[in-house]
Amino acid sequence: MATDPWKSPADLFDEAAGIISPSIFADRDIYKLELERVFSKSWLFIAHETHIPKTGDYFATHMAEDPVVAVRQKDGSVRVFMNQCRHRGMKICRTDGGNAKAFTCTYHGWAYDIGGDLVSVPLEEKSFVGLDKSQWGARQARVESYKGLIFATWNMEAPCLSDYLGDAAFYLDAVLDRSAAGTEVIGGITKWVIPCNWKLAAEQFCSDMYHGLFSHGSIFTAASIPPSSLNTGRQFRAARGGHGTGFFVRSVPEMKITNAGERVAGYDPVADEKAAVARLGTRGGLFVQHMTIFPSFSFFAGFNSLRVWHPRGPDKVEVWAFTIVEKDASAATKEQLRISSTRTFSPAGTWEQDDGENWVEIQRVLRGHEARRTSFNIQMGMGRDYGTDPDLPGSKRQALSEDAARGFYAHWLTLMTQPDKAYAKGGNPLQAAE
Amino acid sequence: MTFVRVCSENEVPPGEALRTESAAGPVALFNVDGEFFAIEDTCSHGQWSLADGYLTGDKIECTLHMAKFCVRTGKACTLPATKPVKIFPVERRGEDVLVDFDGGRYAA
Repeated sequence: MATDPWKSPADLFDEAAGIISPSIFADRDIYKLELERVFSKSWLFIAHETHIPKTGDYFATHMAEDPVVAVRQKDGSVRVFMNQCRHRGMKICRTDGGNAKAFTCTYHGWAYDIGGDLVSVPLEEKSFVGLDKSQWGARQARVESYKGLIFATWNMEAPCLSDYLGDAAFYLDAVLDRSAAGTEVIGGITKWVIPCNWKLAAEQFCSDMYHGLFSHGSIFTAASIPPSSLNTGRQFRAARGGHGTGFFVRSVPEMKITNAGERVAGYDPVADEKAAVARLGTRGGLFVQHMTIFPSFSFFAGFNSLRVWHPRGPDKVEVWAFTIVEKDASAATKEQLRISSTRTFSPAGTWEQDDGENWVEIQRVLRGHEARRTSFNIQMGMGRDYGTDPDLPGSKRQALSEDAARGFYAHWLTLMTQPDKAYAKGGNPLQAAE
Repeated sequence: MTFVRVCSENEVPPGEALRTESAAGPVALFNVDGEFFAIEDTCSHGQWSLADGYLTGDKIECTLHMAKFCVRTGKACTLPATKPVKIFPVERRGEDVLVDFDGGRYAA
């Protein structure tokens, strides 16, 4: 039973009943526990490989609230370490990105090499006795990559990244593996703050096609998306791990043009899609695909907007969004994607504004004492058998469902109540029954 | 006085540096608009390679604490460095650049 005031996070989500308490979006104690049990235990998205191609290239970002630096090493590997000097904790990297030969704290001058190891302490010989610099390097996170995406975690017991992604990787490939050449980032990173809880955004990308028909109704109409194409939806809830995605399988290749308002000369969406379908089968032609890799990495395929939801307190999220494209795509495709991605999923984007308006208003309502104690319905699709699709393993033949959202919160709850059991030791499997 | 060949001039383009080991310790060779200079490679302040630094005109900036040295004189131009580094005589023979590693000294 979901009950509020709560004693345990378990009081806040009841999957069997399909009830959720809005305290999970607004309570400061819940947020504090999330930083410890969700974000410090899970794999978190860091950057795309092409953000830091050369030795010494670095990208300063965050793992939840913790500032980190990702740096390309001489051997081609990537290290991710705390952006925090081990002396008094000042940042050792104060720019967003670039190329560095060392990271020097601007406070007292402790200096770290590109691997985060401490290499120089001013006045070391005069003023320290027996300082073992090897023990005072920047704190290192564990790092792994999947098809161009770099992830890191503080959890040394977590399963490897590919086990963590599990059956969700198949759907991640719909945007990462459309060409043997792989993907690259185009343009910069858009960063903005939305005054709403991070889960409102992450859950929506995980599971919510439902809102599209209403919140984005004007876009669907303006973009000439035929209503009949919306009858072909599928939703996928990861067997474990809290990941989810939804999409339509009857493609509308022209969508990148209708949403951008103009066609770039030479852009051929039908040919692009044919090539992806030849490589990926049905997945090459997915349409309006939204997806979240738990907890805070999401994307919208088609416009290829990838983003991480950096939590900033219970009522704020900092979005970092960027666009990827197949490395071997034509110049016209790249330009078309740049324009359509900006016009749809950016702070001023059409789709983005519809979403933000809802999330911000929900959060404002939750300032109310009674509002926080008024439970929400998360029952959509419960008790329904939509059937499966052999081409799309793990997915159900209906995108309009909240099954993936329940999977998201079920995994969240496992972490919040049994953090040590959520990710079993030494690799697979994640906890079986979520 | 023994000049030893370090490189050919086109191996170190203008604005670039080369670090080389010698009996006198690591030495950094710089190309300043076609003119070559050699100095002690290790920063007199923070134990770091100056050849790794940023060369602007004839000043080399250490990447660790941003101390600057003049590559002509070896003198420290900015804090946090307070001591100079040694300079070494350089000679050109055809396309080759030679350094006299025995001739290291502090400029007057």
